[in-house]
Amino acid sequence: MKKMREKLKITAAGLSDVGLKRERNEDFLAMDNSVGLYIVADGLGGHLAGEVASMVAAQIIQKNVKNWINKNSPVTEIFDFPDMTLSERGNYLSSSIKLANRVIYEMSQEYTEYSGMGTTIVVLTIMPSTTITANVGDSRIYLIRGDSMEPLFKEHSMVAEQLEMGLISEEEAKISPLRHIITRSLGFSDTVDTDVFEIEHMNNDRFLLCTDGLTDMVSDNEILSIIKNGNDPEHICQQLISEANKKGGNDNITVSLVCLSKQADEKH
Amino acid sequence: MARVILVFNKKVVKEYPFPEDSMTIGRNKANDIVIDNLVVSSHHARVDRTGNDYILTDLQSTNGTFTNNKRITSHKLQHKDKITIGKHLLFFAMSKQERAKAKEGKLNNTIMFDTDEKKELLEKQAVKKATDVSDQKGKIGVISFIDRSGEGEIQLSKKLTKIGKAKTSEIRIGGLFMPPTAATISRKPQGYAITAATGKTKVKVNNEVIKETYYLKDFDTIKIGSYKFQFYSHDTGDEK
Repeated sequence: MKKMREKLKITAAGLSDVGLKRERNEDFLAMDNSVGLYIVADGLGGHLAGEVASMVAAQIIQKNVKNWINKNSPVTEIFDFPDMTLSERGNYLSSSIKLANRVIYEMSQEYTEYSGMGTTIVVLTIMPSTTITANVGDSRIYLIRGDSMEPLFKEHSMVAEQLEMGLISEEEAKISPLRHIITRSLGFSDTVDTDVFEIEHMNNDRFLLCTDGLTDMVSDNEILSIIKNGNDPEHICQQLISEANKKGGNDNITVSLVCLSKQADEKH
Repeated sequence: MARVILVFNKKVVKEYPFPEDSMTIGRNKANDIVIDNLVVSSHHARVDRTGNDYILTDLQSTNGTFTNNKRITSHKLQHKDKITIGKHLLFFAMSKQERAKAKEGKLNNTIMFDTDEKKELLEKQAVKKATDVSDQKGKIGVISFIDRSGEGEIQLSKKLTKIGKAKTSEIRIGGLFMPPTAATISRKPQGYAITAATGKTKVKVNNEVIKETYYLKDFDTIKIGSYKFQFYSHDTGDEK
């Protein structure tokens, strides 16, 4: 019997824009195609602290995950305790996020100029048959499959918690004055809990990572329609950013789109 | 410092300066603002200060808390907001400095909320809904074998459970045409979702072949090859 192997091809693009109302860009984007790792962070904190937090977090996560992948590190030998409900790569993500949290927290305790800094984080990693996501805060990851877009993150905000508890309705959540209050971020306390999701990916799956600068301005339906009607990831990212700016560009906007395609590979 | 002015029958009853970090309103004498009226619940509402913001929360009162004529569960107070509790009015007023700060922060800033204050606020809001909350959180999915007795139940505690012939599968099933991984079950934000891993092995839920991904509901039956399972979820008691 002839064995058919599937070859996974990843095409990815990412863009970050300051928006129209802010002076600086506190978002940070990191992409590493060699290990299939994509990171978006939205920094918080005055002066330069927000920019520092998002950059430090993304770089620590990227460096460590890559290092652990290359060394094939056992999960018991990486930072903090392993979570047995996660796969090895899931543990790499969760552990690197905890490590980044600790570094940012200690920087903010040590230096007054970094006091109170923090960042949200979303991380996506593509493996041969699975995709793993991890997040803290209110930045987002969506899976676009066929005609639908579904969240692969858990939002850590006041409003999301109220919604989950059934205290408010979805309509109320959209207009709630509390919608910008996040309840978890990297750097806010010495430990952090991460939500990790692992799924089996399929041919033509697309993943969107973004900060609230996009989702506050552009509705889910509009985002989906731009992605569905687009082809080139870079062009789609540009379109998403210009749409957010057209609607006011209140915040920094960062988007990254990762597209998968599986091709039959007859060679061994 | 902000102030709250209590008005009844168009007359100012009393003016209350905002205490250190929170202020409670109700019929009970222990409240900061006591309103002795039967339509007011004993612990009716509270206002918490978080950074530069004041957040009004209704403590699941019987007759509700209204701001600017709308019933609220929680509301970020603005200068000159009118809070209505029964027939009493409470005007919220910020100091000049606070108003200036509020303006500054208007650029839709994302702010971080102190964990303890947040917990307290959510706990207060959830007092009466406590039972619902435990219903929604901490549910764990279980797959139980039907037809082939002896296999028992398997808890879906992992984020990704693989079903198939491979040794690494969490749920190992055999059979001549069984692929290494026939299906996977992911614990997604909205619940457990089953995906057929290959096009060749059909995965049936409630006797229908699933296309792509299907969100499992309690007591759905799953059929893969000659194996039959049933899905259901139950409480674990813990938070995660």
